Amino acid sequence: MIEARNLAKRYGAKTAVDGVSFNVQPGKVTGFLGPNGAGKSTTMRMIVGLDRPSHGDVIVNGKHYADHKAPLQEVGALLDAKAVHTKRSAHNHLKAMAATHGIPNSRVKEVTEMTGLSAVAKKRVGGFSLGMGQRLGIAAAMLGDPHTLILDEPVNGLDPEGVQWVRHLAKGLAAEGRTVFLSSHLMSEMSQTADHLIIIGRGRIIADASMDDVIAGQGQARTRVRTDQPQVLANALAGEGVSIQSLEPELLEVAGIDARRIAETALQNRVLVYELTPLQESLEDVYMKLTQDEVEYHSADPVSQLSMAGEGRQS
Amino acid sequence: MSAATTTPPAHTSQTGKGVNFGRAIRSEWIKLRTVPSTVVLLSITLVVMVGLAVLSGWGLAMSAGVQAGMPPEQQAQMAESGGLQGAAYTVPSGGIIFGQLLIASLAVVLIASEWGTGMIRSTMVAVPKRIPALLAKNLVIAVVSFVIGVVAALLSYYVAQPFLAGEDLDFAITHDGMVASIINTGTYLALIAVISMAIGTMLRNTAGGIVTAVGLFFVLPTIVVQLLTLLADWIDDAAEYLPTNAGQQMVSVNIADDALNQWQGGLVMAAWAVGLLVISLIVAKRRDV
Repeated sequence: MIEARNLAKRYGAKTAVDGVSFNVQPGKVTGFLGPNGAGKSTTMRMIVGLDRPSHGDVIVNGKHYADHKAPLQEVGALLDAKAVHTKRSAHNHLKAMAATHGIPNSRVKEVTEMTGLSAVAKKRVGGFSLGMGQRLGIAAAMLGDPHTLILDEPVNGLDPEGVQWVRHLAKGLAAEGRTVFLSSHLMSEMSQTADHLIIIGRGRIIADASMDDVIAGQGQARTRVRTDQPQVLANALAGEGVSIQSLEPELLEVAGIDARRIAETALQNRVLVYELTPLQESLEDVYMKLTQDEVEYHSADPVSQLSMAGEGRQS
Repeated sequence: MSAATTTPPAHTSQTGKGVNFGRAIRSEWIKLRTVPSTVVLLSITLVVMVGLAVLSGWGLAMSAGVQAGMPPEQQAQMAESGGLQGAAYTVPSGGIIFGQLLIASLAVVLIASEWGTGMIRSTMVAVPKRIPALLAKNLVIAVVSFVIGVVAALLSYYVAQPFLAGEDLDFAITHDGMVASIINTGTYLALIAVISMAIGTMLRNTAGGIVTAVGLFFVLPTIVVQLLTLLADWIDDAAEYLPTNAGQQMVSVNIADDALNQWQGGLVMAAWAVGLLVISLIVAKRRDV
């Protein structure tokens, strides 16, 4: 369980995180989603005490991270894959980290095997690929068999097999009752893994809801309709809250009314329909819509963006 | 596995025992041993220190031969300033001038490379209170430096005796102040290590840290002080309290009456080390990493 209250971080004039409050619950995978530079990493760094919040507070499993007797057993964090001395071997890196907590060497071996690093464990980390560095970071996060996992862009640099493995790992850990907090800037990644979503844009929380609610609450369901009498059907369907687009001569896209009602209307009007496809709005679309304001704002009007930052500083 | 999603099974982990200072020391000891260049540099330090000390012993014996052929009044003059026997007493600790350079560089590298590579984030996540980790790192390098200093001085003493004996310059290890001089060769290097690590911690940068440490240990006591002495007399007195000038009194066997004695010199240098250590800990505790 991670609890953030009015958490804020300013670097000089720049506000990276602007007073966010959220809970990350145990037993499920919570996705932390946002464009690059939205404040995801800074938030995660504050959770484990690497950055000192400018304002507000964040606690993990009831205490500040640093106040736990065995922090690595409370929280395992992958914050940046290259938090390793390049001249030390993977095995020795894990051994040194484990030693701080009296974690036995058998556990070092376990996480090495679990992350598929056994073959390269004795090699210097400096020669590791991005993906191998990522696996080592995950191995380090798992050392303490922690209650809570914080993984910043864990699939970054992984091959498809590795991506699959991280997804299974995250879900498996959540199923064991652990808190799993996973960041990404890719909605497609989240849609495969997360049960709950916290979306952040320019340092503020945009959405905090279950995956289903995020999809359901945004945008209208649309239906693709092919008919040889599009005009007749369009007239019959027209009404409040219904929008109809003609994409091709015999193809309509209808929003605001579900497929069954369209079929009923077509039947009543004796219009032949030869395709009726409900279009699931993709999470990517939802995400783009949610963060649209931030992004549009970003590129369209840099001047008012600066004055915004000024306001943020005063508050 | 529980079916109810509202009450997932509470996860409990039982892999370790938690952080304490002893474990932080163990971790830092592993870290020191497992970067190959560190081990190589420490070995080189030991070898070079002994080599230089023995070389100076050999050089003394050579000049003793030369001096024997000098006119008596010149010999008397040299004897007044401590003479060759006085110089012979400095042989065991003779390696510190070069040894301190290597130890200072190593201590800076040990901490600054953690920032350079990003390792510091792993260190601070494992020991989030930070100070135990940094104290452990200081303690490990201080103890290692101490051992290297003492071993180097002891080896230097024994290896140099045969050379010195050829000109009757040899002396017993029990000579007044000699045991202290040998032990303090280690103390001196340990304090050099702590001062350097404090500098590295504050600057977080290897190159800058080494330049600053060398500036404090070499440039300030020699070049700067020599220039400034022309401006004011008190500069010379103040220079006695610079860390290396004060610290080198610890290994001196013949001490002038108006100079700091072994104890005083040691305490002055220790004060520098403790002061800088405390500042570096405060800075590191407060800073984002």
